Amino acid sequence: MKQVIAFLALFISMSSIAQSTYEKGMNKGFKLWGEGKSLEASNVFERISNVEKENWIPLYYVAQINILDGFTIKEKTELELKLEKVKTALDKAKALSPNNPELMVLEALYNTVWIAFDGATYGMTLGAPTTEIYKKALELAPDNPRVVYCYAEWNMGMASYFGKDTTPYCQEVKKAIELFSTFKNETPFYPSWGKDRAEQIYNSCNK
Amino acid sequence: MKLLFTLLIVLFSFITGLLHAQTTVSGVVLDSKKNPIPGANIYLDGTYDGTTSTMDGTFSFTTEETGTQKLLVSYIAFVTYEYVAEVSQMNKLTIILKEEINTLTGVTLTAGTFEAGDNAKVTALKPLDIVTTAGAVGDVVGALQTLPGTSTVSEDGRLFVRGGEADETQIFIDGVRVFTPYNASPNNSPTRGRYSPFLFNGTTFSTGGYSAEYGEALSSVLLLSTINEPDQERTDISIMSLGAGLGNTQIFGKNSVSVNLGYMNLRPYLELFPDRNEWDKPYQIGSGEAVYRHKFTNGLLKFYSAFDYTNFAVKQRDINYENRTSFELTNQNFYNNISYKGSLKNDWILSTGAGLSYSKNKYDIYTDMAEGIDQQNISYHLKVDLKKRFNKHLKLNTGVEYFSSNYDQDYENDNNIAYATKVTKELPVTFAETDIFFTNNLALKAGIRGSYDSVSDRFLLAPRTSLAYKTGTNSQVSLAYGDFYQTVSDNYLQYAGSLKPQRAQHYIANYQYVKGGQIFRSELYYKNYADLVKYSGDEAAFNSTYNNNGYGYASGLDIFWRDEKTFKNMDYWVSYSYMDTKRDYRNYEAEVMPSFAADHNFSLVTKYWIESLKSQFGFTYSFTSGRPYDDPNSNQFMAGKTKSYNNLGLNWSYLIDQQKILFISFTNPLGFKNVSGYQYADAPNSNGIYERMTVRPNADSFVFIGFFWTISNDKKTNQLDNL
Repeated sequence: MKQVIAFLALFISMSSIAQSTYEKGMNKGFKLWGEGKSLEASNVFERISNVEKENWIPLYYVAQINILDGFTIKEKTELELKLEKVKTALDKAKALSPNNPELMVLEALYNTVWIAFDGATYGMTLGAPTTEIYKKALELAPDNPRVVYCYAEWNMGMASYFGKDTTPYCQEVKKAIELFSTFKNETPFYPSWGKDRAEQIYNSCNK
Repeated sequence: MKLLFTLLIVLFSFITGLLHAQTTVSGVVLDSKKNPIPGANIYLDGTYDGTTSTMDGTFSFTTEETGTQKLLVSYIAFVTYEYVAEVSQMNKLTIILKEEINTLTGVTLTAGTFEAGDNAKVTALKPLDIVTTAGAVGDVVGALQTLPGTSTVSEDGRLFVRGGEADETQIFIDGVRVFTPYNASPNNSPTRGRYSPFLFNGTTFSTGGYSAEYGEALSSVLLLSTINEPDQERTDISIMSLGAGLGNTQIFGKNSVSVNLGYMNLRPYLELFPDRNEWDKPYQIGSGEAVYRHKFTNGLLKFYSAFDYTNFAVKQRDINYENRTSFELTNQNFYNNISYKGSLKNDWILSTGAGLSYSKNKYDIYTDMAEGIDQQNISYHLKVDLKKRFNKHLKLNTGVEYFSSNYDQDYENDNNIAYATKVTKELPVTFAETDIFFTNNLALKAGIRGSYDSVSDRFLLAPRTSLAYKTGTNSQVSLAYGDFYQTVSDNYLQYAGSLKPQRAQHYIANYQYVKGGQIFRSELYYKNYADLVKYSGDEAAFNSTYNNNGYGYASGLDIFWRDEKTFKNMDYWVSYSYMDTKRDYRNYEAEVMPSFAADHNFSLVTKYWIESLKSQFGFTYSFTSGRPYDDPNSNQFMAGKTKSYNNLGLNWSYLIDQQKILFISFTNPLGFKNVSGYQYADAPNSNGIYERMTVRPNADSFVFIGFFWTISNDKKTNQLDNL
């Protein structure tokens, strides 16, 4: 009996080491990202994804970090390389977790980077597919706050581009803010961003 | 038992102890020129241990791993470096990363080619440009005429490339040949491309030296690819000053269907703005197109079908007749194109297609006698193509194709002369081509095309090759050479029986500079023509004699500059072509510059978006220097030159709301009086002088107004990308 307990103890302590390594690694990535070291952070998440081969979460952050960086890039070749990285990470993540609304949001944002970079070229070709991605995500997860808020922000962007009223989408943003406080997912390090930005947008709605 | 438990505890703490024994891994990451690479990801495979290289390329991290490990160093656009050794040996390493052969930053094989599409690396024209170029009024071919290497032949409208006749350019849809790409039009009226730009999302226009995959074109190929997957269901309604159109797309599961219907009639327009013709039956055209697509797991099937009907009857002036001559044409055209593209085992990509074309022309002509001509052409093209990318260095493209064409003509006049002619052409072809990327800076394309020409019973071999070298981060030079054959046109073969295919050789040197929103290209070329058709008499008729003794050349310089960066919200491009060309062919008396060629061609295209007006304004200016004509009153053959040609196109697209657009286009608002050429009388007058008549465009200016409305689920899509 004691043997069994001992083995169990050993097993549990070993696995808890493994667990904490993942947590430690992920936390290190977030810390670097928080310090503005996005390249280092992306590298950390990439290394983790290389060990945690069945887990889409580290890949999600590789994609998200490089998408956010992509919005600041003005040079096409540099952007192509950066977004190539995003695409590789997203494709791998989608293979591990098909029909994942969180990944769909990133896919839509990936298109948005291209459109923000050169609207005349990519707006026409990527605009409608991006809307389709959001529509599908919304069908799968109508209560996911990021899906609701990002779709609303996308619609606002389109409306303001065409000189239309953006206020109809404010209600959607408000709904997203409510969803942020109720939305729960137990998966460790599950995406949780977006509330601050949604509140910012909602505040500017009422001005 | 206690002992075992203690042992286990000891063992466990020993293991944990081991885990905490740390080793330092350190070194520096450099590229092949010994420059440091910051930001590289350095880690032990399968562990969490690693770091990112610093600004000077150095790195250092500690690990609790022991024994033999694999160190990986990765950085985007470089080959991942692997190093297997004892962890304790992994310090003060110097790691040299090799640049990856990379499609994003590497050299491209581009001599002679302009691409428009999302996937093209260097896009001289964007998909949208095909349709937003002022003056082109939605015509694919019209937009391409603003690129260097083309000559504006305003009374014809077709593509004339680098001293070649219009029929030396072939058009392919999804890799399959289009046999009758242009709409029927009366004399002196420019024709338009038959296929609507609405259906295509990719365009490759090659002005020479193109791949062995394409043949039967002496000068140029235009490759159009249809949209793979429509993104949403939609209905498009267009109401234009010339007619109306209706389009609808339905998606069901893995299938989708798009249908376009259109009808145009020039009668109302001609009532308001009469032109130089007398129209008995104003130009009218009814057309329908349908595309069905089906997605398989590993491939895509597309079925494209188009039908159109054109009719007009016009009375035009002719110097040889006192009264206007009358000309009536009814054209029926039916085209089917079925293609499948998919991946096979071992990364082979299969593209296969079949195109079937049926075209029928009925002419009723009255000069001083009545003539009736019935022409019928049934042609098909079958193609199977296999492509494979073996590795980053080597690509192979090989295939077989078969062209068949059957042409029948019945001629009859009221002097009781009647005859029938017939031409049958069969042409089996095989081709193979390889792309070799030696490094990121040097690439070679080499191919060969073999065909059997049934008309002359000859086997033909056409080698093609091009070489590209990247001279800097943003620039590259390319060289290309190729042999090209084209079967003689039915117009000659119907009387001549057997003639050899005509032949051209291209030599091209290209320099290209591309940097964020700016493109500069210059291309020098020399083209040699041999075996061109010559005939006797005033025109190619049944009693002429025919031979292949014609020859000629064309050489020149093409320059292209596009800039969408310098001025905010403004995009412009400039094309200039200089050409020196002469040929002795047809019934020419000497080797001279042909009437469709000009020394200088210039175009300026600008587009300006004004956000507050929700409008895009377009402006296009084109200039062509005078073109040769023959004056029978002079001893010299083809020594006359027309005055130069000037044209201006303006357009305004106004976004009424997200789904409604108003489009107004005005061609030649300044009313330049352009001259296409001169028609001389067949016989001299009583003073021994050949009288002449100036040939002008049927209308100097042209106005087009259209309203486009899209109805889709997301209420956001519009037809801006169709304009």
